[in-house]
Amino acid sequence: MSIKLENISYTYMQGTPFERNALDDVSVTIEKGEFVAIIGHTGSGKSTLVQHLNGLLKPSTGKAFINDVDLDGKGDEVKKAKHSVGMVFQYPEHQIFAETVYEDIAFGPRNKGFSEEEVEKLVKDAMSFVHLDYEEFAQKSPFNLSGGQMRRVAIAGVVAMAPDYLVLDEPSAGLDPMARDVIFEEIINLYKKRDIGVVLVTHSMEEAVRYANRLLVVSDGKIILDDAPKEIFKNHSQKLLDVSMDIPQVFKLAESLRQKGLTLSEDIIDAKSLVAEIKKQRGIK
Amino acid sequence: MEETIIKLDNLTHLYRDNNDKEFPALDSVNLEIKKGEFVAIIGANGSGKSTLARHLNALLKPAKGTCLVAGMDTSDEKNLWNIRQTVGMVFQNPDNQIVAAVVEEDVAFGPENIGVPTEEIRPRVEAALKTVGMLDYAKHAPHLLSGGQKQRVAIAGTIVLEPACIVLDEPTAMLDPKGRKEIVSTISKLNKEKNITVIYITHYMTEALAADRVIVMNKGKIAFDGTPKEVFSHAKELKEFGLEAPLAAEVASELIAAGMKLDKEIITDEELVEALCPSN
Repeated sequence: MSIKLENISYTYMQGTPFERNALDDVSVTIEKGEFVAIIGHTGSGKSTLVQHLNGLLKPSTGKAFINDVDLDGKGDEVKKAKHSVGMVFQYPEHQIFAETVYEDIAFGPRNKGFSEEEVEKLVKDAMSFVHLDYEEFAQKSPFNLSGGQMRRVAIAGVVAMAPDYLVLDEPSAGLDPMARDVIFEEIINLYKKRDIGVVLVTHSMEEAVRYANRLLVVSDGKIILDDAPKEIFKNHSQKLLDVSMDIPQVFKLAESLRQKGLTLSEDIIDAKSLVAEIKKQRGIK
Repeated sequence: MEETIIKLDNLTHLYRDNNDKEFPALDSVNLEIKKGEFVAIIGANGSGKSTLARHLNALLKPAKGTCLVAGMDTSDEKNLWNIRQTVGMVFQNPDNQIVAAVVEEDVAFGPENIGVPTEEIRPRVEAALKTVGMLDYAKHAPHLLSGGQKQRVAIAGTIVLEPACIVLDEPTAMLDPKGRKEIVSTISKLNKEKNITVIYITHYMTEALAADRVIVMNKGKIAFDGTPKEVFSHAKELKEFGLEAPLAAEVASELIAAGMKLDKEIITDEELVEALCPSN
């Protein structure tokens, strides 16, 4: 099972003076079970790229497949394939529209043709996944919740569709550090328990290295790097700076320490692993 | 440096919750900010920091207490124009703040609006664009700029009105790493070279390190108020407020907890490197 893009190019406003090439001959395969982060500067084409993953945009040239179904077709099979990819856009709380939390989350599964009993079960499961208590929140208006809670309602709405793949566009923008951790805990939980594929668009290098097992770097409509996050941050720091990206702070700190003569393992990816290494060096248990 | 520009006295702001009960988004806040200070405000979502920012140019009015901007009371309608010329605001999403189809026209919108004589507008727009490093883009279309560039145009559109103070509410939340660096260095420059008072709200702790003073909001109250060193050496309490300390402070506090002898006030990478591997 995979999402496959083959030689995709996409041009905005084709045939007008504003014509702009957003994607340039991109090919990539994302397997179910992968956790892929995508980084790139504003205007690099990363949002255009992810909108091809569920057929939201139709490529100007090239082909897109979900689980071997060509998205350029019509009919139930194509519809079903597109439904298997859940999308959470930037600021998903802006997409909430229903009068109660229950109704908002139930909208997707109902559209998919589930019976009312099944819908209720899917809503309950989705709410427990994002840690929203059913009794407390189901009948509340989503518009009176905090920003972090509204975002969880929006994510629950996508989870209730039981997607095989989940695409998230900057799910943590504007959240405080603790709310960020909570959202990611839920995403990781979902990823592990349901063995789905996750695609995460982010501006945070820290998130990329902490959560993803594969990283795509997009610049000027092309995928310029595709490898494990650790490898990319270790080997391509200058190239990342050239395309307005960066490496995680902890990589910089570890490198400064190495330059001053401290021997540190190459596997440092966060504060915890750095602390453990320094303790090892200094013989502290 | 001594002149006070912002003075909050027991400032309280009330919102209504789900059950139509009133609760304080700001709870008897006292705060004094001097002219020329660079103050960062951090706090969890819902801690009251954006509400506080909106009081500073009278977008909101106090339910109780007073908010004085350069001595002017924000609850007095007559002061509105003067207050908004004293305190400029920059918000999170640059796309919502840009009104014109050409960069220089966008920056000229404010001065035109307040009746600055035409011959004065051009030099002021040029000076503002130069300050934020966007003069080369004066004739460009804003929607084709990067996020960091757009946000710098929004800042130019504020400083062109020559405010004494500028309030920025999470201006980097939607930007890529390069855009974030551009904004922080632009703001530091405004503060150092033009002596503009800066009040900078952010969720990025590393950005708060650039300020002279850090204020931590928690549940509508000021929980900490001090230099970055004083505030960020409280790694544990910050976690309880839903925040985090900068990486070096977090690592240092873990190492201290494990028994290493390190200065408690380490907050930057350079300080941690120097402490672990002294130069001589």
